[in-house]
Amino acid sequence: MTEMLLTVRGLRKSFGSDESAVPVLAELAFKLPAGGSLALMGRSGSGKSTLLNILCGLERPEAGELILFGQDYRRADWQQLRRERIGVVFQEANLMPTLSLLDNVRLRAALAGQPQSRGQHWLDTLDIGELAQRFPDQVSGGQRQRAALAMVFAMAPALILADEPTGSLDRVTADDVADSLFRLQAETGCGLILATHDPELASRCQRTLDLAHRAVDRDAGPPLP
Amino acid sequence: MTTFTALLSHYRRHPWQGAALALLMLLATTLWTGIHHLTSEARASLGQSERAVEARHQVQRIDGAVLTVEDFVSLRRQGLCLMPWLEVLPEGESRRVIGVDPLAALCFQRQGDVASFDGQPLRGDPFLDIADAAALPARQSQLFLIVAPNTGVLPEAYRITSFSLAPDTGQLGDSFLLNLDALSVLVLLITGLLLRSVYLLSLSQRRDSFALLNRFGVPVRRVRWHLVAELVCLALLTLIPGILLGQLLANGLAGGFASVMEGLFDSRQFATSGNNWLVPTVVMMALLLLVCAADWLIPDKLRKASVFVIRSGLLALLFIVVGTGGVWLAPNLLWLFVSVALGLAGAGLLMPWCLSALSSRMSRASHQPLRRWWWAEFGVLCRRLALPLVALQLALAMVLAVQALVTTFEATFDHWLGQRLSADYYLEVPTGADAEIAAHWLTQNLPATSGARWHRVLRGQGRIGLDSQSRSVDVFALAPVGSLVTEWDLIEQTEQPWQQLAAGHGVMLNEQLAYRQGLAAGDQIQLELAGQSMSVPVLGIYPDYGRPAGEVLMAGDLLPDDFSVAFESFSISPGSVGIETITEALAGIWQQPALTLRDNRSIRDLANRVFDQTFMLTRAMTLLTLALAAVALLLMGWVFLATRLWYFRLLEVWGLERAAIFLRLLTLALAVSLSAAVLALPVGVGLTWVLVQRINPLAFGWSLPMELYPGFWLELLALALVIGVCIALLMRRQLGRPAVRPSVTGTVTGEER
Repeated sequence: MTEMLLTVRGLRKSFGSDESAVPVLAELAFKLPAGGSLALMGRSGSGKSTLLNILCGLERPEAGELILFGQDYRRADWQQLRRERIGVVFQEANLMPTLSLLDNVRLRAALAGQPQSRGQHWLDTLDIGELAQRFPDQVSGGQRQRAALAMVFAMAPALILADEPTGSLDRVTADDVADSLFRLQAETGCGLILATHDPELASRCQRTLDLAHRAVDRDAGPPLP
Repeated sequence: MTTFTALLSHYRRHPWQGAALALLMLLATTLWTGIHHLTSEARASLGQSERAVEARHQVQRIDGAVLTVEDFVSLRRQGLCLMPWLEVLPEGESRRVIGVDPLAALCFQRQGDVASFDGQPLRGDPFLDIADAAALPARQSQLFLIVAPNTGVLPEAYRITSFSLAPDTGQLGDSFLLNLDALSVLVLLITGLLLRSVYLLSLSQRRDSFALLNRFGVPVRRVRWHLVAELVCLALLTLIPGILLGQLLANGLAGGFASVMEGLFDSRQFATSGNNWLVPTVVMMALLLLVCAADWLIPDKLRKASVFVIRSGLLALLFIVVGTGGVWLAPNLLWLFVSVALGLAGAGLLMPWCLSALSSRMSRASHQPLRRWWWAEFGVLCRRLALPLVALQLALAMVLAVQALVTTFEATFDHWLGQRLSADYYLEVPTGADAEIAAHWLTQNLPATSGARWHRVLRGQGRIGLDSQSRSVDVFALAPVGSLVTEWDLIEQTEQPWQQLAAGHGVMLNEQLAYRQGLAAGDQIQLELAGQSMSVPVLGIYPDYGRPAGEVLMAGDLLPDDFSVAFESFSISPGSVGIETITEALAGIWQQPALTLRDNRSIRDLANRVFDQTFMLTRAMTLLTLALAAVALLLMGWVFLATRLWYFRLLEVWGLERAAIFLRLLTLALAVSLSAAVLALPVGVGLTWVLVQRINPLAFGWSLPMELYPGFWLELLALALVIGVCIALLMRRQLGRPAVRPSVTGTVTGEER
């Protein structure tokens, strides 16, 4: 039987006070197997980022079931999970501006309890090894996103949550960054949940969840409940 | 929606930032206006009254009695040209008004040598009609009769003396006002730094908006003009209440200020008109435009070059070296202030450089990535908050120096008073009584075995120096010169000065006189007493705090027989004899029903009260400046750290507990505020030395010992800790809120590191 990284059932989340509450996520359900990848799609405001925040423990759902690494979310030590097992990549501003690219990677590895000495290796792997001593403002947007991926892989994550990681890049650079992401995800065997507006990028995931219609259009993984 | 309203929308989105800028401008205007108002009023007060009696003389009674209206009437009837001058200190007021009689002044006008009051409105600033002045409920009033030169022969009971509103203090009063001017310049400098920092912050936060407007075709020049208009609007809103508050502050402190002028320089402060709003308005507007338009006024090439020189620390070192040299060598107060300003500017430039260098070094040396991040973030904070940090550093240094000066003064003054008032009692010799017989009785009846000590004090006037350059001095003669004075501290002395003084082999001078005449122990001086000239050596220089007048201390035996004694008293410690025995005996000898006897403790209390009042003003001003700088750093730290919130949230995303993040935030805020305080210490110590050893002698004529008060340093460090904790606590509230992602402009221009 396939090991499940993540199981979500009946998840609900809304914003605002009781009467004027706006539901963002309602009765959401899906699963992600180990090493699987899932694309979250939907128009702006459909709840992609909110779902990612819930999946890394930065926000709490109102109701529903969330089992992560076989553990109920209410009993999870979210700090530890984010530190050691869940890597998060945003569209931009993933790096500390005061540290060089290498120091950023080393910081992330150190927090995860991984060897800092592998920092240069990850930058080399992502083809930005020669930029190791540069600061984030001294490299291009694509190179910054590669450095962000290096940081995530340096922590040896079990699950990567990526919120429009190529959203601010041009097509060619976006493709390069996406190539690196999927290549390394496959090599390391971690799970990947990726929020995007880009159907082409979404199509590279094993499954896609459209939050607007709550429909799974390709089902390469285990059946949803 | 216009470009202007689009720019203003920043403050709609960030109302606290707008409020902070307005608050800073308001406080700064208040503080500066307050100081300026006091100083200019004092100058106007002295100038206006001095002009009215320029080169005048007054009539005094030979017997020393107070003049009355009857004296005026009797002298006028004899055809003398006189003008009554009634000085009144009204109840509940701190400044005097002057009652004059315009009709009486007409005879002066005929002689064409006096400012006429005829037809001039007398509105009480400071001149009033004498009848109105006399009708005022007064705490104090004194009548002077000003007389025209060549006025004719006076009756025998009167004499003519020169009339001046303040004693000849050798420009000390002007120096004191210059001191206050320097304080106001320092406040203006601190204000400028704070305004510029808030302005730069609002610019950096709106950089994306400016870029957007530019892309929409709005020329850069027009955006700049809009910014100027925005600031002028803000200034108009805050300047007027600031000036009004400043005048209220000045009026609140006027009592203290009048005491300062009177306590230090015997100089009365008269009421002047308070309509003084133009200068503060123009100065604050000019300052505002200057700090905001500095970037446009300095050519790009020069600015880039200056940035390099400033960042390399060279300019700071140059300023410090030149400033320090200037402080040693400055010939007068003005040059001294210029040197101090250079030194302070150097210290201000050096601080961000030092902290930046420290953070880079420590960051490079840290092997632990989180610690490396902390040091790098510390460097950013210090650079971005450089202006408010420098303002706080200068304000702290100023407070530290003023506090040390005041505390040293209080301690020294207390010790000095203890020596001066070493006798338990002070007994006035009644008018017409023979002090010689009393002294004889004391010699006979107070044996050394009784533990009693006493001396007779004779006061009068003499002249020091040669004919054309001679100046009037107070004479302070003692007989005998005994143990009540021989324990006085001397600033300079020759061998066995007290024995020499007692033997009549020389005199001692007070520090003020020695300083102004450039005299030292061992010098020979020419002293003229009752028309007789004598050449005597200076045996010692003694401290004489708080008196502007020059004084010569000598043995009573050295006084010529016909010396005119203006005042006589006895200082007595009765020992086992008891003061009642002595007063009863002396009252019998002098055939007086009662004697004026004062317990020296009451004199000491009175003197301490006067000096507490004297320095209240300086303390209040410096503490207000410190409060301004502290509030500014608090606001700026809070606003700036809010722009770093995203990166703190990033740490949370990376799995750091919120408590751990807050701890780092707290340590950062504390490190920044403490750095300013720690670096303020050497500046404050240097400034203390300049105040007590250089400025004080030039401004007041006396110097103080250099004392340091580490306990107060701890208090200032604790204050810095409080500021740091407040910044961190304000930020703690923000940590729970969603963070705004940093602008793209910021992440690619390097301004975030």
